[in-house]
Amino acid sequence: MSRILIVEDEAHLADGLRFNLEAEGHAVDVDGDGQAALERLLANRTLYDAVVLDVMLPGLNGFDVAKQLRAAGHFVPVLMLTARSRPSDVLQGFEAGADDYLPKPFELQILLARLHGLLRRRQWMQQDQHEHEQLTFAGRTLDLEALELRVGDKAYQLTQMECDLLQYLVRNVGRPVSRKAILEDVWDLREDTDTRAIDNFIVRLRRYLEADPTKPKHLLTVRGVGYKFVE
Amino acid sequence: MTRRQTASIVVVVLCVILVAAAITLNIGWILVNGRRVAPLVLGVITFALIIAGLIVYTVFLVREMGITEQQDSFLNSVTHELKTPIASIRLYLETLQSREVGDAQRKEFYRIMLQDADRLQHTVEQVLRAGHARQKRKLDHRAPVDLVWLVQECIDTARMRHNLPAGAITLADHDPNALLVVDGDVDQLRTAILNLLDNAVKYSSEAPQVAVQAVGATPDTAWVRVKDAGVGIPKAQLGRIFSRFYRFQPSGFTVKGTGLGLFIVRSIAKAHGGRVFAESLGEGKGSTFTLELPRSRA
Repeated sequence: MSRILIVEDEAHLADGLRFNLEAEGHAVDVDGDGQAALERLLANRTLYDAVVLDVMLPGLNGFDVAKQLRAAGHFVPVLMLTARSRPSDVLQGFEAGADDYLPKPFELQILLARLHGLLRRRQWMQQDQHEHEQLTFAGRTLDLEALELRVGDKAYQLTQMECDLLQYLVRNVGRPVSRKAILEDVWDLREDTDTRAIDNFIVRLRRYLEADPTKPKHLLTVRGVGYKFVE
Repeated sequence: MTRRQTASIVVVVLCVILVAAAITLNIGWILVNGRRVAPLVLGVITFALIIAGLIVYTVFLVREMGITEQQDSFLNSVTHELKTPIASIRLYLETLQSREVGDAQRKEFYRIMLQDADRLQHTVEQVLRAGHARQKRKLDHRAPVDLVWLVQECIDTARMRHNLPAGAITLADHDPNALLVVDGDVDQLRTAILNLLDNAVKYSSEAPQVAVQAVGATPDTAWVRVKDAGVGIPKAQLGRIFSRFYRFQPSGFTVKGTGLGLFIVRSIAKAHGGRVFAESLGEGKGSTFTLELPRSRA
């Protein structure tokens, strides 16, 4: 599921787009004012996966919204959707920082296809970034591409599930993580899966991470909740 | 500063420089030919004509640039006003065609599409009426029109068109025995009153509060007054708002439209032997539009 922001002051169009995008399984928010949309996007930098942006808006026009987003280092994919279809308008849209430009009236299927194209591209980029990423914590390095945990001069080969779990715990450093979250968010499993499986994974990770796995200092159990990673 | 303002400044500065150069040459000519009357007079007249020509040319050029920009903005607005409802109707039709839609939702979609069709029709009619208004000054059909009845009908239409509650547009009490009749074309008068009501609603930044009056101002004239508590109009703009394509854009507030509405109202008022005028205490203080029409003598 992706989260999409529609910036459109024509209520009918905004509602019609919302209906269709929700039917496609996306979460949708709508803003009818350019300035409000810009503020919302800058305040929630990672919340939205794509923006559908009209040009003739109250507050701040779509060209300026895109320009200011990019100037602020916000690179969410932007699909401009506007009644202005002259070549100079299209060029102005791309110059302002739009990733795609679709004149009104548009074909629904084309709009959805282009939007999915933008979302797919974003997903690929994220995967690519993810694959070449390394996490360093408490003197240890987790290579997300090679699924390898390096502790001093030792290297442990992890499974994908171990790697995902460790990465999740490290990214939530200092915060207790529930078993339910581990099942659903990390492994994409159903809540009713036997949670003792998690305990086995934790035992193995402690073996790699802890100097004394029976007295863990990094991977701690939080009673009644789950686990917590501390540096 | 807009591109037109920059271009206008360049043209005016160029004109000033050329006029200054022409005046300098003129003075030089006078000094050189001080004692020869015939070439002196001829030279002075020629230079005066050149200077006058330059000024007239510059004035026309700046005016034409203004008109071109207004026409550009008009084309943009009309394009937007035509394409937006088409885009919406198309979107809902494609949705109905390609997705499972419940009964209630389907009815809601039909309602939205009808509203969009109305909006489209309204824009097309405005453009056509503006074209007629420029070509014709006289009325084809004249008949007695009960102004209070017409104003009430227009209020109902405007309320429906903008989805407003009953109290948003109110008609002031009037004497039920005093008939307010004008001789005119009922369709055109309806358009004029609706345009005034549409503007009052569109230029209200919050929930519209519009008070309408239909009164006999004198034994010979009837007034339809539309008073809103909206964004108001600066004094300098009061005369210009009735020009074709002219659109007043209040600061921090975007109003969509074609720039034809008030021009049409003025043309209709004139064709009926009446007039329309606006009053406002300034930005943020609301405005009152008065359509003045001669009363029927019958």
